Amino acid sequence: MKNTAPTSAEGLEQPGAGPLAAQVREISKIYGTGDAEVIALDHVTVGIPKSRFTAIMGPSGSGKSTLMHCMAGLDSIDSGQVFLGDVELSRLDDKRLTRLRRDKVGFVFQAFNLVPTLTALENITLPMDIAGRKPDTNWLDHVIDTVGLRPRLKHRPSELSGGQQQRVACARALAGRPEIIFADEPTGNLDSRSGAEILSFLRNSVQEMGQTIVMVTHDPAAAAYSDEVLFLTDGRIVDQMVEPTAEKVLERMKGFDLPGVTAS
Amino acid sequence: MMTKVTLRNLTAHKLRLALTALSVVLGVAMVAGTFIFTDSMSKQFDDLFAGIGKNVAVDVRAKQAVQSGSDEQVSSRPPVPAALADELRKVEGVKDVVGNVGGYAAVIGKNGKTVATLGPPQMGMNWVNGGDYDIQSGRAPQGPSEVAIDEATMKKAGYGLGDRARILLQGPTQTMTVVGVIKTGNMMGATVTAFDTATAQRLLLKPGYFNDIQLVSSGVGETVLRDRVARTLPGDVEAITGSALRDELKDDIQQLLSFLQVLLLVFGLIAVFVGAFIIFNTFSMLVAQRTRELALLRAIGASRRQVTRAVMGEALGVGIVGSTIGLLAGVGLAAGLQALMSDGSEGSTGLTFTVTPVIWSYAVGVTITLISAYFPSRRAAKIAPVAAMRDDVALPQRSLRRRAGIGSALTVLGAGLVVAGIADAGPEPLLLLGIGVGMVFIGVAVLAPILSKPVIRVLGGVFPRLFGTPGRLARENALRNPRRTAATASALMIGLALVSAINVVNSSAVASIGRSVDRQFGADYMIISETQGGFSPDAIKAVGQAPGVDQATAMYVGNINVNGKRASVLSGDMAGITEGAKLKMLSGSTDLGADGLLVDEDTAKSNDYKVGSTLPAQFTDGARQQLRVAGIYEKNDVIGSRLLSEQAYLAHTAKPLAFMGMVQVATPGTASKQAVEGALRDYPNLQVQDRSEVKESFQKQLDQVVVFFTILLAMSIIIAAVGVINTLALSVVERTREIGLLRAVGVSRRQLRRMIRLESVVIAVFGALLGIGIGVALGAAVQNGLADQGLDILKIPVVTLVVYVVLGGVIGMLAALWPAWRAGRMDVLKAIATE
Repeated sequence: MKNTAPTSAEGLEQPGAGPLAAQVREISKIYGTGDAEVIALDHVTVGIPKSRFTAIMGPSGSGKSTLMHCMAGLDSIDSGQVFLGDVELSRLDDKRLTRLRRDKVGFVFQAFNLVPTLTALENITLPMDIAGRKPDTNWLDHVIDTVGLRPRLKHRPSELSGGQQQRVACARALAGRPEIIFADEPTGNLDSRSGAEILSFLRNSVQEMGQTIVMVTHDPAAAAYSDEVLFLTDGRIVDQMVEPTAEKVLERMKGFDLPGVTAS
Repeated sequence: MMTKVTLRNLTAHKLRLALTALSVVLGVAMVAGTFIFTDSMSKQFDDLFAGIGKNVAVDVRAKQAVQSGSDEQVSSRPPVPAALADELRKVEGVKDVVGNVGGYAAVIGKNGKTVATLGPPQMGMNWVNGGDYDIQSGRAPQGPSEVAIDEATMKKAGYGLGDRARILLQGPTQTMTVVGVIKTGNMMGATVTAFDTATAQRLLLKPGYFNDIQLVSSGVGETVLRDRVARTLPGDVEAITGSALRDELKDDIQQLLSFLQVLLLVFGLIAVFVGAFIIFNTFSMLVAQRTRELALLRAIGASRRQVTRAVMGEALGVGIVGSTIGLLAGVGLAAGLQALMSDGSEGSTGLTFTVTPVIWSYAVGVTITLISAYFPSRRAAKIAPVAAMRDDVALPQRSLRRRAGIGSALTVLGAGLVVAGIADAGPEPLLLLGIGVGMVFIGVAVLAPILSKPVIRVLGGVFPRLFGTPGRLARENALRNPRRTAATASALMIGLALVSAINVVNSSAVASIGRSVDRQFGADYMIISETQGGFSPDAIKAVGQAPGVDQATAMYVGNINVNGKRASVLSGDMAGITEGAKLKMLSGSTDLGADGLLVDEDTAKSNDYKVGSTLPAQFTDGARQQLRVAGIYEKNDVIGSRLLSEQAYLAHTAKPLAFMGMVQVATPGTASKQAVEGALRDYPNLQVQDRSEVKESFQKQLDQVVVFFTILLAMSIIIAAVGVINTLALSVVERTREIGLLRAVGVSRRQLRRMIRLESVVIAVFGALLGIGIGVALGAAVQNGLADQGLDILKIPVVTLVVYVVLGGVIGMLAALWPAWRAGRMDVLKAIATE
């Protein structure tokens, strides 16, 4: 866990933005070889500002999920550097990466967010239980009340609706006070009302709790909840938009709607 | 089209099906190995006997007046006088007459150890030129102190020509010069020692007597010669043809082999039965995992029957592949067994292949796979087409109440059959017992999902506290699919149930024998032989002369016909027996004279014998005599049910052999024991045991039996372990997403592996507990059923059983290694990626 190059981050800070929670420098990711070669990420450099809600958008196969996975330490990169705070991920072995995810990162996935054998409460405290840490009860109560799950804490995932399950996932992500939360299409499987609930909830946690959130989505309406949108096409950042609205995002997306390469 | 689906599935799930096939392979290998091994043995014995007595046209021997018991190796035929040979030589058509002498003789090697194996006999005989064997080197033995020994035994004993060798006999040990090496071919562990005829008669039989006399024909057909010879014979002697003699020899071996075959086959079939649980479980899991795919097939128009057939087709594939590999593995197993039994001489290798193992392998392997896969395939057919469109689908499950009903009924019915089988009911009580035990296993397996919840809650109750979240997840995972957990545990249950039942019976037997010895063994020392067939009473006479010895009694055992029915009797000096066996008379006296018989109370009651009753009896030498019931004694485990006058026994026995000696000394202790041992210097095969050593040696013998059965059951336990591996591996695949999620939120590889290991341990321990529960019940039932035959104490070997529970846990731990490793290596991204 060497703190390698504290100066290297400075050149990346975008004018007007605050300190960065995460940043990637010149990262590339290639799947397959020869004819089957697919460039998922092509020398991407980007910073995620602290206490902001950043959305990553792009057509299917643009590399947006891959970018998020690389930033979160779930996937390896072929070249470049990834920093979470001031820790460079590519230098960490699996054990340290696991500990980093457990202690500093929160996740909300599109589906299958919860361990089916554990109750809602057990799912929320899972990362802390694994670490053997006692949860901060005041904070935990606050989070549970904010997502409105108190009456359902003893239920198992199969007894919860899709929206409730995603709220449990959000609560889990928040409960450990991670430095950054990654959300991968968190509303992709929800009806619009439940989706709106989750998105406002994420939005509020940024505004009120100062949480940093990165969300991958292809839904302009979801992107509209964010502070800033990064547009990705063919593995490259092609544009960014501050204070987006659904209409503006949709308009911009039309321009990128080219037949994309399919990268899984 | 559906065939294509079946084939594609078989190739798509190679690894899963390979593990399933493995459970078929192991069981089938045992079955096939049994047949190949016994067929090969049978062939070798045929070859061996083809050479024996090939020149013999007619064999003349004493008639068998009393059938010998099936477990007795000593022939109950009395010898024939040597003078008869001269008479036979005069019969027209007889070219040559050969008198045979046979008995017990073994070689004591240079290292002082007797060359002998358990089972195959140590044969002593008179050397006959032109007989069954040839001299390989040296010459035939002549005179009272020369011996010829077979090649393999020479090698094992470490002797060369001209060496002085000690020969162990039923009488005093002799030191003789080795003058010849006998070429015998493969004897499978039997040893051959030959003397000249006079010496053989003196050492092995009785001077002036032969066991039988063989006639070589000068050209007359053997039946003709037999009839001619028969006319000249006295009434108690018979003549049979050479072919009939060889068939008798073969029949004896065939009986032994078919017993061995049935024994091994039973354990092979147990292994196959265990495999059935694994197959059932795997197919259930495969069907569950493919619910959507099967629903899609239904949605696009496949009929229920087609879906069933697609799954059964897969089972057929697994069965055929498994049986084929099992058959091949059986060849290896048979070769291994043969190497184990081989005495290292030429011709001891080479397997015989018949069509029987092939038929059995495929019949057993394919049938069991199809039966086991039938229920999962039926369930597959019940998947509604709409399931293809749904996200979370569960297979239709039967109600627990119905399960409880069926399970209890099967268990109770099976238990009833077990009890009936032990009570010797019906024509085939052992078969009844076997079916009953099988039904109990299936019944408990059906009940196991209901039992699993409370048991695993308790077992896994400490997990969260000891192992944190991985522990809790492990417990919940073991609980989440009770049917799967139960089927996996049930496979392990079977092997452990049988092992624990054997252990319960064993420890009960040890306890019961121990108490009998304490209560009824009054002698200070017992003298027993390590070799088969008894020993010369001269040994006991020698002990009687030793300083400090008050009394030494030789005990004889034999068979007589009483009222035309065979009865086994004990005999010996009454004063010694009364004290040594703490004989308690209920009526009559122990003064037996020349015709007295004592019976125990049970025998008296069941035959309605009273003191003074006279019984017509016939002895092994053919003589008939009236026996008088002189007295009735209290049931005695040392003596058994009948005691015959020593005088009568000796009068009718050509070469009396003691099976045991009882010694009373003035002051028991090391000195007196050494004195007794000193008197037995010439009998290195005889052991002097005090009361606690008697108990110990019984225990040792019984322990050997337990070890033997445990080894035979090991295959079943290995198959069950494969089942645990299979279940866990499939569970890991099934929970790919969940494992990915756990990894994403920070569960380390090590924690993940621990989670899977603990799940496996709790399932395995559950199986072990079920097995031990059934085993204890079964063992207790056997003990109870045999209580009146001396097995009157029930003792549960708690420590041993606890060891088996721990062993169950260790098996679970080991079985989880590979699945846990796989889960740990799983790609986090693949695991959480949404399609």
